[in-house]
Amino acid sequence: MEGVMEFKDYYKLLGVAPDADAKTIKTAYRKLARKYHPDVNPEEGAEEKFKEVAGAYEVLKNAERRAEYDELRRYGGQRDKGFEPPPGWQGGRGKSSGSAQFEGDFADFFKSAFGNRSGGFQGYSDFKQDAARGQDVEIEMPVFLEEIMSDVAKPIEYRMPVFENGRVTEVKKSLKVKIPKGVSDGERIRLKGQGAPGQGDAPNGDLYLHIRLIPHPMFDVEGHNLLITLPVAPWEAALGAKVTLPTLTGKISLSVPPNSQSGQKLRIKGKGLPMKNGTGDLYVIFKIVIPKNTNKESKALWQSLSDISAFDPRSEWEK
Amino acid sequence: MSDIVLGISLQELCVQEGITETMVIEVVEHGIAEPLAGNDINDWIFELNSVHWMKKAIRLYHDLDIDWVSIAIVIDLLQQKDVLLRENERLKNQLDRFVNHVNDRH
Repeated sequence: MEGVMEFKDYYKLLGVAPDADAKTIKTAYRKLARKYHPDVNPEEGAEEKFKEVAGAYEVLKNAERRAEYDELRRYGGQRDKGFEPPPGWQGGRGKSSGSAQFEGDFADFFKSAFGNRSGGFQGYSDFKQDAARGQDVEIEMPVFLEEIMSDVAKPIEYRMPVFENGRVTEVKKSLKVKIPKGVSDGERIRLKGQGAPGQGDAPNGDLYLHIRLIPHPMFDVEGHNLLITLPVAPWEAALGAKVTLPTLTGKISLSVPPNSQSGQKLRIKGKGLPMKNGTGDLYVIFKIVIPKNTNKESKALWQSLSDISAFDPRSEWEK
Repeated sequence: MSDIVLGISLQELCVQEGITETMVIEVVEHGIAEPLAGNDINDWIFELNSVHWMKKAIRLYHDLDIDWVSIAIVIDLLQQKDVLLRENERLKNQLDRFVNHVNDRH
């Protein structure tokens, strides 16, 4: 191990005094872990923070390792710039497993100082990852509604970690994915062997795609049903009308029934999104729109309507 | 073009994700994930979304040092939060199409 590393003060990371007892350290860790755990805190930077905290606790919770660290700290903490293990320090003990749960700056420091110990924080005892198998990669895949209607393969591009010559680098990969029929928002699909490459003869990891539907300018999605808001003139709503309605599979003709209300829904069967068996429906929601400007003639007509009508839209309020 | 798979078997899950069978049973017994099919444990198949939550649960179990009942509650609440966030977004979009901008009365 050569090179200069930034020294990590584990006590500072956990916000405890260097002479804190085991219980205090545990409490401090638990508090911070709950706050920054990436599975609970989706904010940017939370994961990095959690890794630092977890790494610090991994060392400080173990009396023997803590003593070793304290020795290092006395030596390294005095330096302003960088950190090198003291002469004679037996860094890099233990067998390198190559599984990189946590990467980057912190892990480098940890490895250089403590080596990749088996049972260390790099591998959970219940995540006994086969060291050589490539990592799985999970990415979000934004999909247009038009795309899940078609059979065309969608090109995607993603980055994945590749372990080479003892270093982890990121490699860009592109792929064409045919979106399976009937997928819905939030669903995950798995592409075997498209994750990070395995070492030697070991199998590749898998690629997990998290499907996210991109909001459409016209259609909203509810499960496998689509919703469209149809603006109608007051007279169209009152008298009924024939209008042209866009759907994802082309335009259709729609009859607006007489005396339609604003907000009223109409169901058109089979014009929604494809399901595993069958197709969802399209719901049309009427929205009555009043002209922005009224000319003399129209105003007179509205006036005569007002004169003859006994309609009270607020009759409910009187009760 | 590669194989698209929508499920994962217990064996695959254990080998590929490096999870022990005991952990999976624990997760299933606490209702955090449910196998899609299979009465016998050796026939268990999991839907990929439940694998996502399963992995989350196991990570939380180790990292936060809390018991399975608490994990089940956390996962349940996180799932509810996900559903509500998405529903909220959808309803907001729908409302925006329907409601005009507010005109202040002077």
